[in-house]
Amino acid sequence: MLRGRQFQIPVQIPPVKDHLIVLGIESTSHTFGVGIIELNNHSVRVLANVSSQYKPVKGGIHPSEASQHHVNVAHSVVKKALDDAGVDVKSVNAVAVAVGPGLGPCLRVGATLARFISAYWNKPLVAVNHAVAHIEIGKLVSGMVDPLVVYISGGNTLVAIQRDKKYRVLGETLDIPLGNLLDTFAREVGLAPPYVVSGKHAVDVCAEWSSEFTPLPFTVKGSDLSFSGLLTAALRMARESKGDRALLGKICNSLRETVFNMLIEVTERSLMLTGKKEILLVGGVASNTTLREKFKVLAEFYGCRYYGTPPEIAGDNGLMIAYTGLLSYLYGRTTRPEDLTVKQRFRLDEETYPWLP
Amino acid sequence: MATLTPTLIGRGAEAEIYSGDFLGLKVVVKKRVSKPFRDPIYNRVFIESRTRTEAKILSELYLAGLPVPPVFLVDEEAGVIVMGYVEGSRLSDVLGGLAESSIKKIGWSIGKYAALMHNKGVYHGDYTLANIILTSSEDLVIIDFGLAGYSNDIEEYAIDLHLMSRSAEAMYPELAGVFTRSVFEGYLEYSEVGGDSVIKKVREIRARGRYIEREVRKAVLREKYVD
Repeated sequence: MLRGRQFQIPVQIPPVKDHLIVLGIESTSHTFGVGIIELNNHSVRVLANVSSQYKPVKGGIHPSEASQHHVNVAHSVVKKALDDAGVDVKSVNAVAVAVGPGLGPCLRVGATLARFISAYWNKPLVAVNHAVAHIEIGKLVSGMVDPLVVYISGGNTLVAIQRDKKYRVLGETLDIPLGNLLDTFAREVGLAPPYVVSGKHAVDVCAEWSSEFTPLPFTVKGSDLSFSGLLTAALRMARESKGDRALLGKICNSLRETVFNMLIEVTERSLMLTGKKEILLVGGVASNTTLREKFKVLAEFYGCRYYGTPPEIAGDNGLMIAYTGLLSYLYGRTTRPEDLTVKQRFRLDEETYPWLP
Repeated sequence: MATLTPTLIGRGAEAEIYSGDFLGLKVVVKKRVSKPFRDPIYNRVFIESRTRTEAKILSELYLAGLPVPPVFLVDEEAGVIVMGYVEGSRLSDVLGGLAESSIKKIGWSIGKYAALMHNKGVYHGDYTLANIILTSSEDLVIIDFGLAGYSNDIEEYAIDLHLMSRSAEAMYPELAGVFTRSVFEGYLEYSEVGGDSVIKKVREIRARGRYIEREVRKAVLREKYVD
């Protein structure tokens, strides 16, 4: 639990305010989350981090069903966050919201709520890039200043660095994201939903049914990755397994080994290209124990420092939006409620961020 | 036999790099190593197949007159290639300090060499600034063919150009525009595999990236389906 914990801010901030309370809203995909953070000079304290997840009964995420879920839980999640923090909405100094990238209907729930809070209680409003927030919270908790960032989730697979006040993408998926690949495979072969049970993905559970390994298509292009051929090949093999548990286990084990090796390989290439000495793993898939273990060994091998964000902040959460909103607010980046728009395809490398080196 | 007394001079993403002396020639020994975070079967497959492909393609390109290191010895099972030593700096380290005229010239040559490789049905697979050596006489040498292969698919060729332009954007955002334009110019001049369609494909690959602006994607898709 991060609630109550205090962290030194690892980036440059202007000395405009000594104390601030920021409320952040996350609703880009399956999670509706609210986080509240407090600034004290050059450190922040986590006051609250409350989430509610939409879990599809069958199939994948249905955007309008997910947004319906967010609408239903919004009030109670905000209330719980304020209660946890022990603050009244009137004492919040700014409200931040993730405006993208994400699913349109889901994004609009958070945006509407944020506009309302901002307009009704006359609070400054801050728009936050969801991908940037994943990285900033990772930097905050790890204390890393200039890491090689590996960001993997259901919607993103990329390797990035900071340069000239921007995030620069060194490599990314050319087709589907890594989390999406694992989810789609699990769904197609009947292992999911539910996709994650007590912190373990369906593919991880299945991989334990076998320790055998068979090579699958391995597509690395420089620092870019391609997963679609791999998915097709794995599904074709799975169709032939016809209920054979050991064989399906072997396919899951090989699939997992292959995707993680691909990711490791582009990370290695990016390490070589940039000479970075820190590796920061963020995004929902960062809580996968097998992957974390591989990254630990990788970091030891290259003499790098490694940090993987813990599950509470690896997955989508409101805290990261509150923290990144706080940084933006300190730099005077606010938006009027009527000007706030959602950006479904908001890229990580689209905007400059004044706190970056 | 020769005196090969190797000293470790660097570590790449998949290999250890040694320098040594072979029959009086200064050589580089590239040894692919097993990784503790990789399945043993993958380690073997990777080391053997990548060593074999790299050696084969290097020899073929060298004989065709492309600026790549010559191969002297290969041991597939041990994952070792002994090749000519190239004196110079990685372009990724020095591009920022060059004059615009040099950057244009270099970009143009990088495009030309890509075209010459592709004309032979070879793609590099990791065509980035870090894999181009700039010698003191301002000549270029292409290295690291570990991800290279043979293909007739223009997608593979386009990915080479895409990687080069993206590595420039990541390392030297302010120079990337001029540099990439020169790469494309050089490429178009020498390509015999339909340079126009390869460059069109580069734009299409870009548009496939996650969360690209809708307008760019629309423009690319329109082009794709209209003609």
